[in-house]
Amino acid sequence: MSRATVFQFRSGSSTFHRLDPMTKFAWLLSISLLAFGAYIAWIQILIALIVLGTALFLARITPAEIRQGTWPFILACLSFFLIQSLTLPGKVEFFHILGKSIYADSADYALAAALRIYTIILSTLVFVRTTDPRELAIALVTQARIPYRIAYAFFIALRIIPTIEEEIKIIQSAQAVRGVAKQRGLAGRIRDMKRYAMPLLVGSLRRASIMVMSMESRAFGAYPQRTFLDPPKMGTGGRVFCAIMVAAVAGWYAALAFGLVHAVYVFAPA
Amino acid sequence: MLARSTPDLPLKDGQPNGGAPRRAVSHATQAPEPEAVPPSPSIDAAPLVDIVGLSYTYEGERNPVLENVSLSVKPGEFVLILGPSGCGKSTLLQVMNGTIPHSLRGRLEGKAEICGREVAATKVTSFATEVGMVFQDPEAQIINIRVRDEVTFGLENLCRPVEEILARQAEALNFVGLGDAGECSIFDMSGGQKQRVSIAAVLAARPRLLVLDEPTANLDPVGMAEVFAVLERLNKEFGVTILMVEHRVDELADKVSRVIMMDQGRILFDGAPRAAFSRRREAHSEETEIVPTSAWFPQVSEFALDMARATGREIAPESIPLNVREAVALAERTLAEPVGQVQTITLTPATAPAEEVEPGQPLVSIRNLTFGYARDKPILRNITLDLASNAIIALMGRNGSGKTTLARTLIGINPPPKGAVMLGAKDISELGPKEISAEVGYVFQNPDHQFVTDRVDDEVAYGLRVRDYSDEAIEQRVTDVLEIVDLVRYRVRSPFSLSLGERRRLSVATMLVLEPRLLVLDEPTIGQDYERAQQLMKLMVRLRERYRTTVLMITHDVRLVAEWAERALVLHEGALAFDGAPHDLFGQPALLATSGLLQPPIFEVSAQLAARHPSRVSAPTLSVAGLVRSLVA
Repeated sequence: MSRATVFQFRSGSSTFHRLDPMTKFAWLLSISLLAFGAYIAWIQILIALIVLGTALFLARITPAEIRQGTWPFILACLSFFLIQSLTLPGKVEFFHILGKSIYADSADYALAAALRIYTIILSTLVFVRTTDPRELAIALVTQARIPYRIAYAFFIALRIIPTIEEEIKIIQSAQAVRGVAKQRGLAGRIRDMKRYAMPLLVGSLRRASIMVMSMESRAFGAYPQRTFLDPPKMGTGGRVFCAIMVAAVAGWYAALAFGLVHAVYVFAPA
Repeated sequence: MLARSTPDLPLKDGQPNGGAPRRAVSHATQAPEPEAVPPSPSIDAAPLVDIVGLSYTYEGERNPVLENVSLSVKPGEFVLILGPSGCGKSTLLQVMNGTIPHSLRGRLEGKAEICGREVAATKVTSFATEVGMVFQDPEAQIINIRVRDEVTFGLENLCRPVEEILARQAEALNFVGLGDAGECSIFDMSGGQKQRVSIAAVLAARPRLLVLDEPTANLDPVGMAEVFAVLERLNKEFGVTILMVEHRVDELADKVSRVIMMDQGRILFDGAPRAAFSRRREAHSEETEIVPTSAWFPQVSEFALDMARATGREIAPESIPLNVREAVALAERTLAEPVGQVQTITLTPATAPAEEVEPGQPLVSIRNLTFGYARDKPILRNITLDLASNAIIALMGRNGSGKTTLARTLIGINPPPKGAVMLGAKDISELGPKEISAEVGYVFQNPDHQFVTDRVDDEVAYGLRVRDYSDEAIEQRVTDVLEIVDLVRYRVRSPFSLSLGERRRLSVATMLVLEPRLLVLDEPTIGQDYERAQQLMKLMVRLRERYRTTVLMITHDVRLVAEWAERALVLHEGALAFDGAPHDLFGQPALLATSGLLQPPIFEVSAQLAARHPSRVSAPTLSVAGLVRSLVA
């Protein structure tokens, strides 16, 4: 399974699959807010472990799929962590390497920052993988009172992403056959994108036009409202879950505001 | 509201069963009382399509795409529209539900009334319960992920009550044979199943008129047969009026009640199928070249016309066969005539292409190739074969059998295991893209994917530039190749501004300029009419003659294979199920069935005749001319 296909909805019966989309959205938002507010490494480790546990046990995503879906981000986060640890100034010396001091507070900060990125990516994977985009769109209409045309535009955008990714792969293959090698560096990437842009644009416009015709011919937009079969509903469990998440976020930011959270160095000097 | 001419589709046991048991359903929004669509003023006997003197010009264009078209279609008709690419077929279909002029703007003149409503004054969404539209590409027209969501989409938009939606979802899915598939993901389905979901999605609204634009273009023969069977039942059992553009006439000719041929925006012929296929006429391609209408004839009708020519007799339109059974009967009538009454003339013998097997090293050698994108799920299984130089070879099999994966392994897009694929003496796994593309070309289904520059001549020159050819050499070779593909006059234009046929030829030219030893053609007939595919194959023959290139074409088109290929490879679930002459392949019905392939009609006709009259037809043949020769000899 490619990375593109890992990052897309697959039906299933896990606990997270059974949760309604808005509850999962609240979870994603809360995890993101907690992660953004945590500049202390051990807390980020805790949050990352919670998200990892959720992915493995509540969303039933296999370790192989997590690896496949997130390995480029793992590499990016690792690089980020190393660069930040080596370059950020600090106060508490951790160890010396090649005449350069590595500081515990810098390493901790770098670890927190790197884990923050990874946590958000992993929680997004859990959300995308377990949430039917159509159900999300319907929940946005029925629970968040967003006009259904806008919600469906959002749904179509999510639905079409894997198709566009697939088309980019085909274009890459088609151009590789011409002897076009992938170029390196930022300028090379930009040149690559320019070459892919026109075929992708032509193909996407064609698809979009057929999709619009298909929707219009089936009365999409005929009335200000529409019927929804099986609209997802937030049950008592979902409400309790949301309340816990809101409380956790509020508590966390309150603790930060009142200075109740103290750094305990993960990379503490011996 | 007037009664519908379309009876309700049958419900199995009167119960909705289009998916898993459902929890209580509810209206999420306050659904308005279906206001519905204003009652149609027409009566059942009145035409559903009433078009008089219709002309249409796209916004920003000068020339009309439709010119003075008049068409009347009565309830219960099954109309097949034929014509070369660019003749206005799809544009005409888009008028049927008001997509033209409401969504695709332009100048519309003349009268167009569909289901009793003036198109220019009726919104597209208002046609939703009257006209069902099915497009060529199921991937592009499907909105939802789950089957039942796709089928209920239109009814939800129409604010129908939940109970009605559930009942209609079940009946539509049952009708297309997907009654148990409601909970399935559409993206896990085969092409034929996807297209049946698309049909169910429009049937759920119980349209009176079903409009289909090449619905089987992307399907293998089995998927195509599934779709045609559904359409035939809809028309014959439930009286649904069908208007369809389709190039695969062999399997359709005896199912339709009327044929319309279009040429340059006008109707060239309008009448019964037998009359349509009884006389060869001339139309024009998008590039205004002459195209014989026989390019779209069923093979059995061509056979009848050739028989008439060979015997020097006129054939009445009512005697034109539309299926294998009728063709066999016609042949038997000829055989029953006393010898001497048949006037024979000399037919040009069909030149059967000869495979040239050279001694020594094969062009490509594949040994025990097993390949998959995931280690535990091989797509190709233990394939061993050789490809010789100077040959035209067909690669066939069901959708998903591994054809494209194998072809992509030959050009290094899929990395083969070390030593499994040899290009001459070189291991392809050790070659880079530039080295492989110097010897192996690949023409993708969609030519637009391969274009990398802004001008036609730059496009052809690109492959030479990356290989550091001199400017003089580039200029010379680009001009030569553009002449071969007849695109010299467009050399400064953008590739994207060319017609589809021209873009296809340009795509071939970009490969041709490198004089490849192996050229892979991916589905050369998809999205193209028969004549265009023939032109492409003629170009391949020129390529073969000039450079001794081997052409490997991935295709489902059995007529194309019968006509052009000297060797056929069939993949079944990733393994090589057949490697031999097409004639031998088509003589194995069990293999064809498991591989989702069909016999070419003329092979079926000749096989039946050979069984009954072995003295006159010694063996089944793939050539119309060959069978005619046997019969009139």
